[in-house]
Amino acid sequence: MSAAPLRSDLPGVVGLLWRRFTWRHWCLAPVQSAILVAILSLGVGVFFAIRLANRAAVASFQNFTDLITAESDGLISPAAGLLPEAVLTELRTAFGSRPVQLIPVLETTAARPRQSETEVIGSRGTFQLLGLDLIAVQNLAERRRPDRSWFDQSAAPGASATSRDTSPSPAASKFWDTFRNPRSVFISEFLARREGLSPGSELPLILNEQIVPLRVAGVIPTDPAQPQAPAELMVMDLPALQRLTGLTGQVSRIEFILEDGPQRAERWQELRALLERQATNFPGALQASSSPRWQVASPADRRESGEVMTRAFRLNLTILSLLALVVGLYLIFQALDGAVVRRREEIAILRSLGVPPRLIQRAWLCEAAVLGLAGGVVGLLLGWLGAQGAVRLVGRTVNALYYATSADRAALHSTEVILALVVSVLTSVLAGWLPAKSAAETPPAQSLGRGHGTTFIGPRLLRRTGLAWALVAVGFGLLTLPPWRLEAGLRIPVAAYAAALCWTFAAGILGGSVLKHLSRWAARPGSPLSGGAVARLALSHVREPSGRHRLAVAGLVCAVAMTAGMAILVGSFDTTMRGWISRTFQADLYVSSDGAQSASTENRISPATWRSVAAHPEVTHAQVIQAARVQLPEGETMLVGGDLEFFREFAQPAWLQEPVDNSIFVPATTAGQVLVSEAFSERFRLRRGDKLTLPTPAGGQPVTIAGVFSDYGNERGSLIVDRAHFARWFGNELASSLILVLRPGADIESVRAELRAAHPGLAVFTQSYLRGEALRIFRQTFAITYALELIGVTVAVAGLGFTMVSLLWERRGELTTLRALGLTRRELAAAAALEGLFTAVSGVAVGLLASVGLGWVLIHRVNQQTFGWTLETDRPWGQLAGLAILVLAAAAVTAWGAGRWGAQLPAEQEE
Amino acid sequence: MIALSLLRAAVPLLGGIFTVLLVGVVQAVDVPRKTPEGFAVPQPGTRFTFPRDHGNHPDFALEWWYLTGHLFETNGARYGFQATFFRRASPRSTAPSAATQGFGDDQLYLAHMALLDAQTGEFRHQERLNRAGWDAEASLQTLDVKNGNWSLRLAPPASGSAEPTLQLEGGIRAEAAFSLTLTPAKPLVIFGTNGVSRKAAEPTAASHYLTFTRLKVAGSLTWQGKVREVTGEAWMDHEFSSSQLGAGQVGWDWASVQLRDGRELMAYRMRRQDGTTDPFSTLAWIDRQGRVQHFGPSEYSWEPRGVWKSPASGAEYPAAIRLRLKDPETGRERTLDLQPLAPAQELNGAIGGIPYWEGACRVLDEQGQEIGQAFLEMTGYAATMQGRL
Repeated sequence: MSAAPLRSDLPGVVGLLWRRFTWRHWCLAPVQSAILVAILSLGVGVFFAIRLANRAAVASFQNFTDLITAESDGLISPAAGLLPEAVLTELRTAFGSRPVQLIPVLETTAARPRQSETEVIGSRGTFQLLGLDLIAVQNLAERRRPDRSWFDQSAAPGASATSRDTSPSPAASKFWDTFRNPRSVFISEFLARREGLSPGSELPLILNEQIVPLRVAGVIPTDPAQPQAPAELMVMDLPALQRLTGLTGQVSRIEFILEDGPQRAERWQELRALLERQATNFPGALQASSSPRWQVASPADRRESGEVMTRAFRLNLTILSLLALVVGLYLIFQALDGAVVRRREEIAILRSLGVPPRLIQRAWLCEAAVLGLAGGVVGLLLGWLGAQGAVRLVGRTVNALYYATSADRAALHSTEVILALVVSVLTSVLAGWLPAKSAAETPPAQSLGRGHGTTFIGPRLLRRTGLAWALVAVGFGLLTLPPWRLEAGLRIPVAAYAAALCWTFAAGILGGSVLKHLSRWAARPGSPLSGGAVARLALSHVREPSGRHRLAVAGLVCAVAMTAGMAILVGSFDTTMRGWISRTFQADLYVSSDGAQSASTENRISPATWRSVAAHPEVTHAQVIQAARVQLPEGETMLVGGDLEFFREFAQPAWLQEPVDNSIFVPATTAGQVLVSEAFSERFRLRRGDKLTLPTPAGGQPVTIAGVFSDYGNERGSLIVDRAHFARWFGNELASSLILVLRPGADIESVRAELRAAHPGLAVFTQSYLRGEALRIFRQTFAITYALELIGVTVAVAGLGFTMVSLLWERRGELTTLRALGLTRRELAAAAALEGLFTAVSGVAVGLLASVGLGWVLIHRVNQQTFGWTLETDRPWGQLAGLAILVLAAAAVTAWGAGRWGAQLPAEQEE
Repeated sequence: MIALSLLRAAVPLLGGIFTVLLVGVVQAVDVPRKTPEGFAVPQPGTRFTFPRDHGNHPDFALEWWYLTGHLFETNGARYGFQATFFRRASPRSTAPSAATQGFGDDQLYLAHMALLDAQTGEFRHQERLNRAGWDAEASLQTLDVKNGNWSLRLAPPASGSAEPTLQLEGGIRAEAAFSLTLTPAKPLVIFGTNGVSRKAAEPTAASHYLTFTRLKVAGSLTWQGKVREVTGEAWMDHEFSSSQLGAGQVGWDWASVQLRDGRELMAYRMRRQDGTTDPFSTLAWIDRQGRVQHFGPSEYSWEPRGVWKSPASGAEYPAAIRLRLKDPETGRERTLDLQPLAPAQELNGAIGGIPYWEGACRVLDEQGQEIGQAFLEMTGYAATMQGRL
């Protein structure tokens, strides 16, 4: 056979090669093939699961109004606080006869009252309560037919009027009763079914700090073509909700729906321009220098905000989810390369039969791609199952840090499916690239002998220690670069991640070199290991580590370094948090609305209630905290009003930049000064002495930063001003929380019980309880990272076992000889275990060493640049030792098992 | 459904224009000041002051400002338009309420707008419902009523004129818009006896009813993406009352006619459940000076001609109306044909839930000559209305 006919029939030959060459081998070693697919699928599965969970968490951030109004054309929301209702009239006048509907919305949160005194924070869901004008929304029926009407759900059958009697018909009077009842609430069909609620049912809810007995008026009508209203959505008539929340005359936002007709896009642009002009058109009292009264947003802008808010968090999670895949990359590389070695004889035969090298290379790449596809498909299944668990973990974190989400299941998404498959195939093809090249380079006259001479040399890169040191140096260089800055003050630490990658790769190379030196040192004459046959046998293989050993070490180094690095980050975080918590929570009792169950809560405490709490005879100091989200030009942040002297005394802030003098703490001189958190300072690049203008309902307020303190409450940052200013700017005294210091010797528990009894809608926490809860919520947010690390380590250990199996297979001739020389199976297994252990020790040692560097990068670059949190470095030695022991033990056991298997291999057997 | 309830309670709303014309009914001895629900009852001898009485009367349960008219471009293109603003008071209640000035719950405002392009027969209409508050209100001082971006206001007299003018801003979604100035061409007519228009034997069943029978119209109409200068004539009713009609009626036919000789007439036929014409039906002539003369149902006839079936509601409406009546000026018997400019002028009741036909007609005499223009209203033909009334 010559090469010419082959070239004319390439696909046929590839198919033949695939059937006779690849598939046959796979079938001959089904366990190995299955393990390979499993490892790949685990890596892809983790990646896919995290992507799906992230997507679900983002999707749950939505504009609930859309379910009722159909998507509005745009909306305005205030830069801070709420919009006065008078804006509605102002805008209608400004719009003249332009055909546009204005939909005022008041949005707040509520929770069910607690069932037991022992439940933990966040265990009850947060409801989003929308206040809408329930009369006006009916005009939208022309635009979109709802599946039911708002008001006739409770009407008795046959109530239609048949006379023109002057008394109102039963249906009409039912309408008026429902409409005018200030406690009427509409709930989702989902909730109605889940809790057996029907029109007329009582539904007590905590609104602000009051338990309000609401009355179910019916189910929220939605467009049948649209998704159902989510369980946590509730709707009330706007003025009723305003009254219940003490926000009469105020709305959260105003949405705009253009009437149907031609040139919709142009009309919205015109309206948008008008709204933007009007935003800077200040009524009398406000300063002309003020910042705009509101922001104009299209639905796309708004959808993006939930996505932007959690982008950094999700990106970090995605990168972490790639850990298992990166470790898997090493393994697939090894496996395919091992296959090249095993099938070398066949390749040589094929070559001598005239099969061109590029065809052989293509067959190998094809094999890698098929492997990737198989791993990808299984990975999709694993990932989809995993996502159902991951979505809860991700949801919990998003809930605790960003906004209320009820995402409890992750839906399949075609983009993600394709992405996962592409990642899987790419990983596999990438890993198969060098083995394919090496297979193609096999000479036709290749000697068919086995042993070291013919074993795979491995990527030459892994032998270049010089390269390793160069990578370390590049890593250091990268660390001096700033993060990549996106809109809204988002920072992505691209350079830091690249540095971490450089160091991990360098450590992988160095791991092989460490193995070599370690084995030589152990095998030196006179060492305890230099005597026994088993030990000598084991060390003989690693004294001059093969490419395979080096790869196994590199995989382990990668997994251990990343895992240990994360452990160092989390440990440092934990230590820092505990320090911060014990400094911050110095007072005796902490009071908030019992409805506050998530980071996005709008539940506040009314002045009457907090005054009555503060007046308790045992209370000596009461810190009233007011808080509001404010929109700076670069992004949203949190403005807090409180007693700054109290803050200094009872929260004992750790200063990054301490105020230069006392003036901000003195009421007479505090005006125009703010304290900012580190996260704020990092995000907005503002330091002590810098000036900014705070948007408030009373206009823009110019302030100067007096100091920067460390804070781990949120990554969006916060500003603190004296509460007197806050109350004046926002025109209310609604408190988000209350911190109480009791008379020395007071019985804290009984004061707590008294306050709870007097105000059942308040949550009253003792210092120790809150410290515990803060730590619990914090640790809960890291639950997912632990899960991801565990998977990474599992893959690495499995990889070591895989390496040992491959090595022993290649040495099966040698093993037969050794058995013939009298070595028992036990001894051979022990030798394999020792070989594996040495490999593992090198991997773990270098991995741990690298983890110190990675930990530093994670703490001082990735975390600091992403979240703006400075952490005290803490190395959780116990955890790291545990990790080392676990990996070593697992490696030894796996290698021992492989050794036992290898010891009984027949001298000649195909696969 | 809310608006349905509103309409149910406000049955005379749409056809109410004519109900107050029952001036022949003998005055009852005692007129109570309040209905049992606590709403005001029209009192004989009420002296109206203007512009105040063009405005809102929230003590009464029901009130509407009802404009219908005909518009022409200089090139002869012809249009019909309707712009109506209704107010309905909620039942008096002492129960706690969360209502505020911005979001009231004591009054609801409903409005209907419609436009007919007579060239193509295209008909557009829209309904809107709002509560009293920031987006719907009617002034207590003068005619100043609005609902969303629609409004009807009394403007100061144009220069060189003693008469005030009305300014209407209306439209249908973003498909049509009209900005019209309406100037009364004839004095305001106050229907009824002694300022009160009785409707039935019950002393509370009465209304105050004020009408501009002919308004000169000028302004702009935006339609098919083009701003068109238009002129024409319109009719406006303003009525407020607190009572409902009696049982037994299933619907009504009503027409306002503006003749080219400067006179107007209004006629209606109330249809009873048994198919007969209610004795309260009437026809009124308004002479060139604005004086009114009434005729009972035995003195004229109302003949439906042909059938038009609405594809939307399935209702079958008369395709045209023939009126046989006596001209009080000449004493001669006459025949007037009310010929719709297009058959499809039904408002589908998207929010109110009750479809009805209200449309522009030309008026033809015995020789088929066009001698005027009319607006015709027909209710109670849609199946959905049966049993509701």
